[in-house]
Amino acid sequence: MVRRVKSLLRRRKGIQPQIDSLDDHGSLSNKMDENIDYFRSVYANCSDVVIRPFLIGGMYQAYFIYIDGLANVEETDEQILQPLMNATVKNTNEIMNMLENKIPVTNIQKFTSLSKCIDSISTGNPLLLSDGINTGYSFCLAKWEKRGIGEPSAEVGIKGPREGFTETINVSTSQLRRIIKSPSLKMQELFIGQLTKTKIVISYIEGIANHNLIEEVHNRLERIKIDGILESGYIEELIEDNPYSPFPQILSTERPDVVCSNLLEGRVAILVDGTPFVIVVPTTFFSLLQSHEDYYQRFLVSTAVRWLRYLFLVISLLLPSLYVAILTFHHEMVPTALLLSVAASREAVPFPALVEALMMEVTFEALREAGIRLPKQVGAAVSIVGALVIGQAAVQAGLVSAPMVIVVAITGIASFMIPRYAMGIGFRILRFPIIFLAGALGLLGVMMGIIAIIVHLSTIRSFGVPYLSPLAPLKGTELKDTLIRSPWWKLNTRPHLTGDYNKHRQSPGLKPDPTKGGE
Amino acid sequence: MEKGKISSLQMGMIMYLTIMSTAILTVPGITAKYAKQDLWLSPIWASLVGFMTLFIVMRLSKNYPQQSFFQICEHTAGLYIGKLVGFIYVCFLAYVTGQIIRSYADFILTVYLPQTPISVIVISMTVLAAFTVIGGLEVIGRVSQIFFPIFFFSIFIIIILLIPKLNLSYLLPIMEDGILPSLKGAIIPQIWFGEFFLIIFLFPFLSDQSKGRKWGMITIFMVLFTFVTANLIVLFILGQNIAGTLYPFLKATLFVNIGDFIENMDPLIIALWILGSFVKITVFYYVTALGIGQWLNLTDYKPIVWPLGILIVQLSFWSLPNLMVINHHDETVNPFLGLLMQTLIPLLLLGISSIKKKVKPVKI
Repeated sequence: MVRRVKSLLRRRKGIQPQIDSLDDHGSLSNKMDENIDYFRSVYANCSDVVIRPFLIGGMYQAYFIYIDGLANVEETDEQILQPLMNATVKNTNEIMNMLENKIPVTNIQKFTSLSKCIDSISTGNPLLLSDGINTGYSFCLAKWEKRGIGEPSAEVGIKGPREGFTETINVSTSQLRRIIKSPSLKMQELFIGQLTKTKIVISYIEGIANHNLIEEVHNRLERIKIDGILESGYIEELIEDNPYSPFPQILSTERPDVVCSNLLEGRVAILVDGTPFVIVVPTTFFSLLQSHEDYYQRFLVSTAVRWLRYLFLVISLLLPSLYVAILTFHHEMVPTALLLSVAASREAVPFPALVEALMMEVTFEALREAGIRLPKQVGAAVSIVGALVIGQAAVQAGLVSAPMVIVVAITGIASFMIPRYAMGIGFRILRFPIIFLAGALGLLGVMMGIIAIIVHLSTIRSFGVPYLSPLAPLKGTELKDTLIRSPWWKLNTRPHLTGDYNKHRQSPGLKPDPTKGGE
Repeated sequence: MEKGKISSLQMGMIMYLTIMSTAILTVPGITAKYAKQDLWLSPIWASLVGFMTLFIVMRLSKNYPQQSFFQICEHTAGLYIGKLVGFIYVCFLAYVTGQIIRSYADFILTVYLPQTPISVIVISMTVLAAFTVIGGLEVIGRVSQIFFPIFFFSIFIIIILLIPKLNLSYLLPIMEDGILPSLKGAIIPQIWFGEFFLIIFLFPFLSDQSKGRKWGMITIFMVLFTFVTANLIVLFILGQNIAGTLYPFLKATLFVNIGDFIENMDPLIIALWILGSFVKITVFYYVTALGIGQWLNLTDYKPIVWPLGILIVQLSFWSLPNLMVINHHDETVNPFLGLLMQTLIPLLLLGISSIKKKVKPVKI
C-alpha cells in the first residue's frame, strides 16, 4: 500500500508537460531527393510554402524554398534566379564559388542542419538547395508588410519625440541605435517560444548596466519554456519578482526616448518581436509615476506637475473610501455647513453611502473599460449614456446623491493622472477593498488599508531593487529626482540600482550663467 | 534567522516611532499627576534612563559582537540560568506586546469606534502586524522610514497651528516644590526611554554598526525633544487640567481653529496614532518572534509568527479587564517591571561580563 502511494507520488512528480519540440532533425544530406522529400513532408499542407525546382546553368537540379508573402520575390528573381539559370558551370565547386562570390545579395548564410534551414525559411529568407551540395544557402531577402512608425498612441505628450516603436523588432532596435550611437549599446538576441520562436533582444549599455543585473535578466529569460510569446506582457509575467502583487514591477513603454533614458541610467531593456511595447527592468514605484515629459519641460513646472500627480494618486486611491468613512462614522469631522448641504442632498437617497459608492465606482469602471474597446462609431453613444443617464438622471431620480457623483468624477480624473496605465489599474483595483474597509471600520479601516499597501510596497522588489527606493531604503541623493525634478545641471549622478557602477553622468558645474559664456 | 539588514538611520526611525507613537498621547497626563506644571522637566530626567540603557546595550554588543541577546545571557550567566533569563525575557516581550495592542484598541474604542467589538480591532491589527513581521526586519525598517516623516511633520504642523492658543503663563511657577515632583513624574516616561533596550535585538542586523551609537544618541535626543515640546504644548493649552485628562495631546489638538476652516484636527492625531501604534506593535511582535526563535535556537522565526499572534491576542485580554485596570497597571507595575527588565538586568549582565573579562578573556 505504502509503495503504491509512493509510486503514485513519484508518477505525479514525473509528469511534466512536454511541449512538442521541432528542434532535432539532423543535417542535410548530399542527395537532393532525400532533402527535398524531407522538406515536402515537413511542409505538407502548408499552402503558403513554395518549393520551386529549377536548373542551375541548365544542368544541376536545384530548389528554391520560400514562404509566399514573406520573401522578396522580385529581388529573388532578378538577383539570384536569373544569374544562376544563365550561368555556365562545370561542377558543384563552381556553383558554390558562384553562390558565395557572384550573387549580389548582402547577407548569405550557409546551413547544414535541417532545423536551421527551417528556421531561416520561417523568418522569410528564401533557401536554395542544390544537387551535390550538402549545404543550404539562405539569402536575407525577407520582406513583409509592416506598419510604419507612428505616434505612440498610449503615451502621448505635448513635448518630446513623436515616434513610437513598431511591431517589427529590427525597426525598434534601429530606433534605439539611432539615439545611442555608441558601440557600447549592446543588443543580445535570443529566441523564446517553441512554436513562435519569438525574437527577444536584451539591450543595455556596457559599462553602465550592472553585470549581475544582465546575468539575472538572462537567467530569468532562459528559464522560460513556453509554446508562444505574443506580447511583452507574457515575458513580464514570467520574469517578475512578485507575481501576486497588483503593482507592475516592470516598466512597459512604446517610446524609444523613454527606453534610452532608462538605458542611460543603467537599466536593461527587453524588446520583443511582434509588439511595440518594450519592457524595462528594474523599475521602482516612483519611476512608474514619472512621465517622459517631466524631463523635457522646465524643472519648476515638472516639479509642480509631479506633486500634483502624487496628490491625485492619493485622491484616486482614497477619496471614495474617505467619503464613505466620514459619512458613515465620523460626521463630526465635516464642517457644519458642508455637512448640512451633503446631508440635504443625501436625504432622498435610499442606499447607505457604502452601497452608493460601490455602485457608482463599479459603473464608472465599466464605462471606462467599455470605452477602451468601443468601435469609434458607438463611442458617442457611450459618453451620452455615461454623462446623462448615469450622472444627471441618477441624481434626479434620487438614486444617487450629487456629491457622490462629484467624488466618482474626481476619482476618475485622478486615476488618469497616473502616467503608466498598468500602475493606474493597480490603484483602481485597490480602491475597492479600501471602500469596503471604510464601510466596515471607518477611518480605522482606511488607515489599515493604507498601512497594508505600504507594507506590501515595502516588501516587493524588482530585480533586486527595493520597490520603494529611493524613499525606503532612503537614498538622499536620489530624492532630487523623486520628490522634485531637479534641473538637469544638478542631476550629476545616475540613480543607484543594484551596484555602484559608473556613477557620474555629466561633468559637475553645468549650471548656466552669463558669466560662464567665455565673454 | 534574519537575513535582512537595516541601516542605523532606519534603526533610529524604528525606535523613534516605537517610543514616541504611544508616549505622546498618554504620558503627559500621567506625568502631570505628579509633576504638575513641571511636567516638561520629567522627560529630561527620564532620558537619563534612556542614555544609560543605550550605553549598556552598546557595551554588551561591543563585548559580544554579532551575538543575540540570549547568547549574551548564556555567556554571562551560564547555560541554565541564561536560558531561564531568556525565558523570562520572551514572556516579558510577549506580555508587553499584548499590552500595547490592548492600549491601542482601548484608545480606538474610546475616541473613535465605541460600538465596535474590541476583538475586531485587536485581531485586525495583529493580522496586519503579523504580515509585516513575516516580511522581516527590512520591511519594518522601510515602513518606518516612510511613516517617520509623516508622523514627525504632522506633530509639528499641529504644534505650529496651536501657537495662537498658547498661554505661556501656565509654565509658572517653575519648580514650586523643588525638584522632587518632576522626578516623581519621570517614573512613567522612563519606561518609554527604557525601550531603547530593544536596540540590542536590532543591533546585530545593522549594516553600518559603527554608526549605531551615533544614531541611537540622536534618536534619544529627538525623542526627548518631542517629549518636552509635546508636554509644554499640552501645558500651555490645558494648564492645570492635564492631570485629569486621559489623552491630553488629543484634547489640545481640538483647540486648533484657524479661520473657522482648519479645525477638527483630531482625526489626524488618531491616524498618526494608528500609524505609530502599528510600528510599535510590529516591532515588539517582531522582537518577540525573533527572541523566541533565538532562544530556542530555531533556524527561522517565521513559522512561529502566526501561533504567537494568537497568543498575543490572548495576552491582550488576560488580566486586563478594562481601561481603569490598565492605567492602574501602567502606574504601579510597569515602571518597575520596565526598569528591571529593560535596564537593570542588562546592567547586571554587563557587570558580570566585565568581571569575567577581567578574570579571563571571553571565548566566543
